[in-house]
Amino acid sequence: MVALLLFIFSLPVLGQSQTVSGTVKDTEKNLPLAGVTVKVVGTTSTSQTNESGSFTIKANKGQVLLLSYVGFETLRYTVDGTSLTIKLKSAVTELDEVVVAMDIKRKSRDLGYSTQVVKGEDLKETQRESFVNGLQGRIAGATITSTSGVPGASSTIVLRGFNSLSLDNQPLFVIDGVIRDNSTIDAAASVPAAAGQNNTSNDFTNRIADLNPNDIESITVLKGPEATVLYGSAASNGAIVITTKRAKITSGKRLNINYDNSFRFQSLQNTPSVFNGFQQGNNGVLNNGTFSAFGPAMPEGTKLYDNIGNFFKNGFGQTHNLGVDFGTMKSSYRASVSYFDQTGVVPGTRLQRINFRLTNTTKIGKYIEITPSFGYSNSDNDKALKGAGGYLLNLFQWPATDDAQNYLLSNGNKRYLINTNNTADNAGLGTIAETDNPFFAVYRNQSRDKTNNYDANLAINYNPTKWLTVAGRFGYNYYTTDGYQYRDPESASQSSMANQGQLDNYFYKVATYNHTISASAKKNFGKFNTRLTVGTRWNQLEFQNYGISGTKDSIRSFDSSSTGIATRTRLSRATLYGTENWNLRKSYQVAAFTEATVSYANVIFLTGSIAFESSSILPSANRNYSYPGGSLSVIMSDIFPKMKGGILNYWKLRGSLASTARLPSPYANQSNFVPTVTSNALPANLTPLQYAFTNANPDLKPERQNTYEVGTEIRLFNDVVSIDAAYYNAIASDQIAQGFRASYGSGFVLNTANNSSVRNQGIEISLGIKAIRKKDFDWNIQFNFNHMWNQVLAIPASIDISGGDYYDASTWLYNNARGGIRPGYSTGTISSFGYLRQNLTPTGANGVTSNNGAIVINGTTGLPLNNAFFRVRADRTIWVTLGTINRFRYKNWNLSFLWDLRVGGDIFNATNMYLTNLGKSTKTADRLTPRVVTGVIQNGLENTANATVNNILVTPYWNSAYYGSTSMPEEDYMERDVKAFRLRDISLSYRFPESVLTNRRRNMDAPGVIDYLPIKSLSFFITCNDLLLFTNYSGADPAANGGNASLRGVGAVGFDYGNIAAPLSFNAGLRVGF
Amino acid sequence: MKYISFITTKSAVTMFAIGVIALASCSKKLDEAYLNPNNPVEGAIEAILPNTINQMTSTAAPPAGGGGGSYGPAAEAVNMARYIQFWNAVGTNDNYDQMGGVYATASDNTGLVWAMHYYGIGANAKFIISRGIQQEKWDYVGVAHAIFAYSWLTLTEEYGEVIMRQAFDGSRSTFEYNTQSDVYDSVRVMCDNAITYLNMTGGNVSAANLKLGDAYFLGGDVNKWKKFVYGIKARTFAHLSNKSFYATKGYADSVIKYSDLSVSANAENATQKWTGGNFSGTNNYYGPFRGNIGSIRQTAFIADLLSGASTASPFTGVFDPRTPYLINENTNGTYRGVVPNLGTSGLAAADQPKTFWRQPFSSTSTAVPDSGRYIFNNLAPFPVLTAADVQFMKAEAAFRKGDKALALAAYTKGINMSFDLLISEYQTRVPGNLQITDATRNAYFANTKVIPASPAGLTLTMIMLQKYIALYGYGFSETWTDMRRYHYTDLDPATGKQVYAGFTLPTTLTIFNNGKPVYRARPRYNSEYLYNIPNLQLIGALASDYHTKEHWFSQP
Repeated sequence: MVALLLFIFSLPVLGQSQTVSGTVKDTEKNLPLAGVTVKVVGTTSTSQTNESGSFTIKANKGQVLLLSYVGFETLRYTVDGTSLTIKLKSAVTELDEVVVAMDIKRKSRDLGYSTQVVKGEDLKETQRESFVNGLQGRIAGATITSTSGVPGASSTIVLRGFNSLSLDNQPLFVIDGVIRDNSTIDAAASVPAAAGQNNTSNDFTNRIADLNPNDIESITVLKGPEATVLYGSAASNGAIVITTKRAKITSGKRLNINYDNSFRFQSLQNTPSVFNGFQQGNNGVLNNGTFSAFGPAMPEGTKLYDNIGNFFKNGFGQTHNLGVDFGTMKSSYRASVSYFDQTGVVPGTRLQRINFRLTNTTKIGKYIEITPSFGYSNSDNDKALKGAGGYLLNLFQWPATDDAQNYLLSNGNKRYLINTNNTADNAGLGTIAETDNPFFAVYRNQSRDKTNNYDANLAINYNPTKWLTVAGRFGYNYYTTDGYQYRDPESASQSSMANQGQLDNYFYKVATYNHTISASAKKNFGKFNTRLTVGTRWNQLEFQNYGISGTKDSIRSFDSSSTGIATRTRLSRATLYGTENWNLRKSYQVAAFTEATVSYANVIFLTGSIAFESSSILPSANRNYSYPGGSLSVIMSDIFPKMKGGILNYWKLRGSLASTARLPSPYANQSNFVPTVTSNALPANLTPLQYAFTNANPDLKPERQNTYEVGTEIRLFNDVVSIDAAYYNAIASDQIAQGFRASYGSGFVLNTANNSSVRNQGIEISLGIKAIRKKDFDWNIQFNFNHMWNQVLAIPASIDISGGDYYDASTWLYNNARGGIRPGYSTGTISSFGYLRQNLTPTGANGVTSNNGAIVINGTTGLPLNNAFFRVRADRTIWVTLGTINRFRYKNWNLSFLWDLRVGGDIFNATNMYLTNLGKSTKTADRLTPRVVTGVIQNGLENTANATVNNILVTPYWNSAYYGSTSMPEEDYMERDVKAFRLRDISLSYRFPESVLTNRRRNMDAPGVIDYLPIKSLSFFITCNDLLLFTNYSGADPAANGGNASLRGVGAVGFDYGNIAAPLSFNAGLRVGF
Repeated sequence: MKYISFITTKSAVTMFAIGVIALASCSKKLDEAYLNPNNPVEGAIEAILPNTINQMTSTAAPPAGGGGGSYGPAAEAVNMARYIQFWNAVGTNDNYDQMGGVYATASDNTGLVWAMHYYGIGANAKFIISRGIQQEKWDYVGVAHAIFAYSWLTLTEEYGEVIMRQAFDGSRSTFEYNTQSDVYDSVRVMCDNAITYLNMTGGNVSAANLKLGDAYFLGGDVNKWKKFVYGIKARTFAHLSNKSFYATKGYADSVIKYSDLSVSANAENATQKWTGGNFSGTNNYYGPFRGNIGSIRQTAFIADLLSGASTASPFTGVFDPRTPYLINENTNGTYRGVVPNLGTSGLAAADQPKTFWRQPFSSTSTAVPDSGRYIFNNLAPFPVLTAADVQFMKAEAAFRKGDKALALAAYTKGINMSFDLLISEYQTRVPGNLQITDATRNAYFANTKVIPASPAGLTLTMIMLQKYIALYGYGFSETWTDMRRYHYTDLDPATGKQVYAGFTLPTTLTIFNNGKPVYRARPRYNSEYLYNIPNLQLIGALASDYHTKEHWFSQP
């Protein structure tokens, strides 16, 4: 409408006698503002400022100009001359209009719950390949964990902690009002297993990373579950609401072209320290037939190779972004193209991505505006296999006396280190197994996937009257991922050698469609303002996957046709039904929702909402459920205006209650049969069947979560300081425990039931300080503080009563430690084996012992004994995170950096345990020193006051078992209270003054290309990622994740097993606007 | 303004109505997406029955996708039939030789019937019942009830108190135990229900169709299934012989009645047959292909009983012609066996019995191809209920009732049935010179030590020992129940001699026995002792000597 008016009034208007010209500038930065609407009050005369902030309009002295511009306070300015300089103040108090419902903005003061906004520019400035990684430290309460530092790694994002023990805890992604899939391929469930596919050894990009960071205008994070009314139960973990860029077409400017690029250099700074002081062998005896390094000391002058240094290489990357805005005021287009190419620090890793996006906005008639958009991305990710049997652990294991770079013989066959007589297996007979050389592992064992991702969206807004808005958002997204994982016939990984090569091909296609149609009406009754929204939503997801695994692929082809026909296996659905059907997982959801807001005098806002939802995941008898919510926002500073003064400018109190539901995976409530082998005379069309292990409980209900939140927003000292603080408390009950053990009385071995619950609490504080606001110099600081704590209230009684732990097998990565959960503890606990300790007050069954008694020692060996039970021994929950963003501007120079502080939370350093078990960690350096392990002897008196103190002398050099997992159990590798202070991003940019560009002297005597280019803006930047890390963690990087983003529940965050650190990245590039 | 207000309300109501209609019209689409397309959540009951039947003996893990390992009574008996000295361990100090249970060990041994019942049969039989009713395949419904009746009875006789009322409630994570008398009552009801359905005709009842699922057990013959069910029902009365109400309620008459309705000829025996081949699931658990019985040897008790070497036995000095069928001669050509807990039992090498696969005593390896006799071969049929079994049950009841003539007739028929079965089914690999001939058979039957000249000469000992012989190897559950009713060594009041004459308890019992013989098994460790502890506590199953706690059925 506004644009339409502008269009009309940009025609010459008669009847004004005087032409007034002026310049509009930003109060703070004193920079010209382009596109400000200038209107003469009481007339139809309207104008707009140009790029240099100037405008002309016909107006008489004394008439009032109304200046309005998004993000700035509307100003009424009385004409007092013919050449005006007007300054607009940024609308601090209302600046934070946030996108809540679909892509419709709502004023922050209305909202009774917490939201936080991040500008797309800020994310882009980080130059990170996935914008999700750029969010860390910028949102109080958001935890982002990247699986590893290689290109295409998946990232897990969790808002406000883990509410669900078994289901997905990641927020919903919404792009321009349309729900967008962010799933990560779950290798364990989706890929056949000939080559040992699992989420520890392979990783798949989380698909939201396909979104071009350059297309993001802004991101609003809805941290609590309040968004579920609008987006459905899929948003029960909060929502990341993304607004993409639209064409910035004004009447004066119908073509904008922006180009930027970035060139990146990456290098790995931190690797775990590997100790190479001793030769191969055991118990001090030389044995070159083992990788264990418990042999004699390395002789003087032994040539040692820097295998680790030789292995990691520098990564190089480049990004090119082009954005073009064109069209008319009525119908404008934005087209963007992006090319990204990055090779990683691990040899053989690379991610290439191409993005394309076209968005149009067209006004039809007086009332209708439609915004269709189309996006496409193509990514090609070449990967290395990590985790157990992966390159990193092999690299650490490789003796430094050997140059690992020579991984092949001159004849092209694998060079063996230990089994020097390697003729036998050259025929692929698989008689000799030897851990792969790391170079062999990355060059010969291959993994790669390609994704094509399409999306088509349509937004329709219909505003027939001032008080009524009808909006529809329709979104379709389709992507395919085709990939393979290959293990060479000579590889010792998995059983590849025996199998003469293993190849998994997998094909994945995902189609999602969703729409939301809503109507919103506003009406005022005196001082009461009301708004009512009703709507309906349909959300449909279809995941299909298919895979072929085969062995005997000796020709090193990555096509399944090269595997032995008889060895090929397909997905279960195919084998069962005889035909090659794709596995299909689909769910449909339909909802009707309504939200009503009543406000009084624009100072008190009360909102109530309810959604009625039905899901195809549940049987018709119990598929309907609803969840209400309510929130209150009170602007104290407007109710009691006297408060406002020199110190306080704004004070809002808010509170909300929300209920939400969380659904199980499709088919989790349908037990199924498996083919069995039994004596039978069935006809050919029938295969004998029996029920599979799992009781997929048909009576499953959605998980419920009740959250309350209170918060406040305060602005002080003329908006120099702004504070947003929130406390929340969420109880997630009826949680679905999947695959838990119970009595066979259920009729099955593994069970599914609504029987767990968790309480999550936290405090989030965002503090903004505009420390310096000068003409040439700004300094802004923002702190994002988060402290969360939680408690598991219930796990399945069958596990609880025996003192057991409820765990996800995907977290059981190395030896006996896993993400085991116990009631009364936090959700992030690690359960593991530990030392057998004195138990002066026996507590009963299953070896539950106190955690602080003296270690019990074997009276023969002098080595500690093991408490071989999974007991809670560590907690991964991070106590406090604090992101600190500093922004400096000096004239045209901008410097910004983000420090990310983490305090607390334990990490299981499985990498160190692995190295210690091999005699290659620094822990084993002093092995020649005799010592007595402090503890008491197990002689029958150990649990009495008269326990015998151990005095058996042990020299680990002669007894490698000292470093074994029994005498030095998992408990010993829990690194407690990890602190890390990381300079995540630092960016320096220089923007050429416009005057330089517009007044630049073109050398038309000998013109170059640049002399013809109408360059409007030009800037250069350099950005560093992960430049500095200060930590008390002994491993490579405390941001460790032993799984990938497909893991549900708490996942394998805090398990460091063969992880590589985030590499240091150095980016440089330019931005230019035409 | 009122107008606008009206519009607002009206459009809101309209939108809401549209939403509600959308919900309704979408519900059909939601239904379409509900069912799991990847794995069968439904299956033809004909395809589910074979494995469910197979559970009553032994099963094997399916090739993929879960489904359970080697469950069932046959598998259980490898360890537990050492209690009743069907066989004992090849080595010394064996836990089960010493009547031990599983205590303080994370073992699922003695939990195989538990798994068979709750997991192997439970959900599958329930599914057959529910779909069978929908599809009006009453014969299938009856068969599933019959399997359940068998399964519940076998379950409670091994474990005593078991989960019954809360069983198969998939929403629970803990399960309460019910008393054995409850289970007995329920089993009779299940038997009645089974008979009701097996009697039903019409609908989609079809012998040909039943045979699809039942080809390897009773061949789709509902009459044989009914006889099977009556046999189970007879057991529910026969096993309560120690109860005072056994006499007052005329349980002996019930046993006789249902025995008469049950299997009366070997052709009606309920026997699992095998298709063989290279799959565990299609081979006899005791055959060399599955290789499960390498560490057990025939006992002195059975060897002496059959060969006539037992001086305590009424059949002393009588060589039973069935001996070479049931057990193996040693290199001396004699029949000797091991004593619990003693390994070679001091036998000279040449006296040491061969393995059941007829390998040297010390060999624990399998022998391929089939080399054993009786039920110890890959394709040997494995009986679940036989005519001999039923006749001895009847004989005991008649004897208890005082009808010794009827008892003697049933007793004699029982022995005959046993001979017939061995000759018809298990003669393979019995050397010609050792095979039963009319002469040897007649001589045996003519011997008054075996068949008394008059009913007055019949003793409880003769009945129970002949039953022991007839059920040797396959009838572990029934025989153990019998022996527990007689507390292993109870004396026959009539003769003053031990009912199981010649049976001696092992000289050494495990320390957890506290000097008492074994009476029950602990429920499956990975089911109950990890995940249902409070309920175990309520029935006292956490006690270290729980396995010596006597069952309700054998108590007065």
